[in-house]
Amino acid sequence: MSQDNEKYDAIVIGGGIAGQESALNLADSDQKVLLVEKDLSFGGKMIHLSKVFPTLDCSACITTPKMSETARHPNITICTYSEFTEIEKLPDGTFTGILTRHPRYVIEKDCTGCQDCEEVCPSVVEDQYQYGMVGRKAAYVPFSIANPRIAAIDIENCILCGACERACPADAIDFTQKTEKTRVNAGSVIVATGFRLFDPAVIRKYGLGKYKNVVTSMQMERQLVPTRPFNNVLRPKDAKVPDNIAYVLCVGSRDLTIGSPVCSQVCCMYSVKQGQLLMGALPMADVTVYYLHVRAFGKGFEEFYQQSRGMGVKYVKGKVGTIEEKENGDLILRYEDIRDGSVKEETHDLVVLSVGMLPNPEAGSLFAGNALELDEFGYVRQVDMLKNPASTSIEGVFVAGTASGPMDIPDSIASSGAAAAEALSYLKRKR
Amino acid sequence: MVRIRPEFSDQIKKFGGVDFNVCYNCGNCTAVCPLSENDNTFPRRLLRYTVLGMEEDIQSSSDPWLCYYCGDCSETCPRQANPGEIMMALRRYLTASYDWTGLSKKFYTSKAWGIGSLLLISVIVAMLFAFFLPFSADPAGMINEDGGVMINSFVRGIEGERFVRIIETGDLVMAAIISFFLISNIFNMYLKIVIRNRKKVRVPVSLYVREAWNLFYHFGTQMRFSKCEGRSYWVLHWLLMSGYTLMFTVIVVFLPWFQTEKIHPFYHPQRFIGYYATFGILLAIIVWSVGRLRRSGEIHKYSHKTDWVFLIMLFLTTLTGILLHLFRINGMVHATYYTYVVHLAILVPMLLVEVPFSKWSHLAYRPLAIYFTNLVNKAADSGKNGN
Repeated sequence: MSQDNEKYDAIVIGGGIAGQESALNLADSDQKVLLVEKDLSFGGKMIHLSKVFPTLDCSACITTPKMSETARHPNITICTYSEFTEIEKLPDGTFTGILTRHPRYVIEKDCTGCQDCEEVCPSVVEDQYQYGMVGRKAAYVPFSIANPRIAAIDIENCILCGACERACPADAIDFTQKTEKTRVNAGSVIVATGFRLFDPAVIRKYGLGKYKNVVTSMQMERQLVPTRPFNNVLRPKDAKVPDNIAYVLCVGSRDLTIGSPVCSQVCCMYSVKQGQLLMGALPMADVTVYYLHVRAFGKGFEEFYQQSRGMGVKYVKGKVGTIEEKENGDLILRYEDIRDGSVKEETHDLVVLSVGMLPNPEAGSLFAGNALELDEFGYVRQVDMLKNPASTSIEGVFVAGTASGPMDIPDSIASSGAAAAEALSYLKRKR
Repeated sequence: MVRIRPEFSDQIKKFGGVDFNVCYNCGNCTAVCPLSENDNTFPRRLLRYTVLGMEEDIQSSSDPWLCYYCGDCSETCPRQANPGEIMMALRRYLTASYDWTGLSKKFYTSKAWGIGSLLLISVIVAMLFAFFLPFSADPAGMINEDGGVMINSFVRGIEGERFVRIIETGDLVMAAIISFFLISNIFNMYLKIVIRNRKKVRVPVSLYVREAWNLFYHFGTQMRFSKCEGRSYWVLHWLLMSGYTLMFTVIVVFLPWFQTEKIHPFYHPQRFIGYYATFGILLAIIVWSVGRLRRSGEIHKYSHKTDWVFLIMLFLTTLTGILLHLFRINGMVHATYYTYVVHLAILVPMLLVEVPFSKWSHLAYRPLAIYFTNLVNKAADSGKNGN
């Protein structure tokens, strides 16, 4: 571990839309910010989305400029593929912790992102950025609009053949890289660790993983973006263009059997949005949404929901109980139609599970001795939600975005602004 | 128009329902239920009725009897509202609501009544033996040529055949009492489900005859139960049911053939039936008691006090039955007599209380509910087709 402590005014943990917003707000106020991102690229979940509700703005078109702004800001230092842990509060009110930089086996400043390594790499694995729908190489640029747009070696799946090293025109591949740990000090900490997507494979009656044509809403989202894997909406089993798509809402939200009693706040609206996008992408397709209650609570949400009904999306009140697969890959959904109390079975050729948000468990283990308190649901506890919504159980540590609970993108950005403002005020008071 | 009576749910809680008020009516329970069909959708509808206090709709519904409590609904309920347990509670409630004497409700909701009535009948049976059939024979003369106890010769001056006839008469009196109450309760059930049915149809007489086979078929096979997941549970239940029914029939109707002085070889049907019944009943008691103690699986998660009374009484009956048999074939005269009295002092109250008023009544109500449901549904269907 190097002895020279790096010093910053604030450390932002998490490089999603919330982390970027907080970092930019602080940096614009002349604070030195370190943005720590555990993934190969920052950008969080939003960079992978197609459109945002209820305006149908292009998600990437909003995120990429913000990412560039963050990356180029003179007051912001970004560490991707890194973690900041074992954080402790010092007596003077500042913080210290360990910055762990994982090796990507590519020299960051030399890599040009030409993807020659990707071409020659013989090892193919599931592409996590396309949510497992296609493959990628073990030497790879994470995704086309990644930032930094440079390669990394997935050492777990690398067969150490050295082909990439030979192919790299910039000699950027370096298999000797090791994990680096440095002690970093900061005036305050912003926790923007975001959320974890619910994995519906644990709900066995829905058959995700077993039935090929049951997909998650994130997989559908990827099929609707400009950088989509198949350049069309296809169902996985036989690459047929689906014409009767079902959405199952509240998968992983408001469900005590998986220990998540809260509403994820976004699934209704992103399903409404995807329904509209599908109506555009596949004009002949039928889209049916199985819902418990459509929670269209925000500005313009109800109108957006009514617009999808007007476009022909069908809404059926009833939680899907079981899904069974037919021989041709179609799926039979069994549910109780709450409007008339009858049990019904309906066949669809593609089923999308609208997965909810779960707390990111990493937030709780950032601090030494798990000092950062979580609420009953596992999100970072907001000690004074009404007066200082970003304050946490540790003074000087602030929470931004979905680390504090499920919320949509605008709310997340607003919350990040609040976190930055509160952090700034804390820094001024301590000086 | 429905009048909402939220206080009704408190009443149901005495019959064992838990936490059903947290239900948000998603319909998951109905959708995952392997038995829920379009004419009879449950458990959500029944749970809704309970929350709203729609007493008449519950009483005229046969749905709780159509549920065999596999527990899928409770297991997958996103609100953990225990829909399976509310169906169980409603079965208890319905048993009480069919009973015009009001005793059933007392047995279900009051510990004092439940245990007191059993004790009282138990004491009466013991007293009857003490006064009228006290042990008075010469123990030495009671061993037959097989080395076993002559079970019908305890009382001096009453020879074997007459003793059996006295006991048989007692059995028949008991059976008559049970039948009187059970049949009148069944009639009440019939009025609620078929006559005042919720589909408002009249059931033609011919349908009663045509559908009658259903009654016997479902009583004998419990085929609906096997549709639930975990067929082993159905097999076990069937073993218990068949053993119990066989034993009940033999004791009440064929006592002179069953309770003989002669000890038959073990392969004799008389002994074989006894062994079969004992095996089935004992196996079921052990599996269910262990399940209830460990609270394993949804079906055993919640135990109403009457569930335990049922298991304990059945266990004691079986245990004394086994002891009686052992004492008898080993020639232990006094032990045989006293165990015989104790056996009856447990068996009689169990049958008198449980069969018409409590848990055993489901033996009659379940197949009848299927029969009645079919009557109403088919009458409604033919009405629709006629129009």
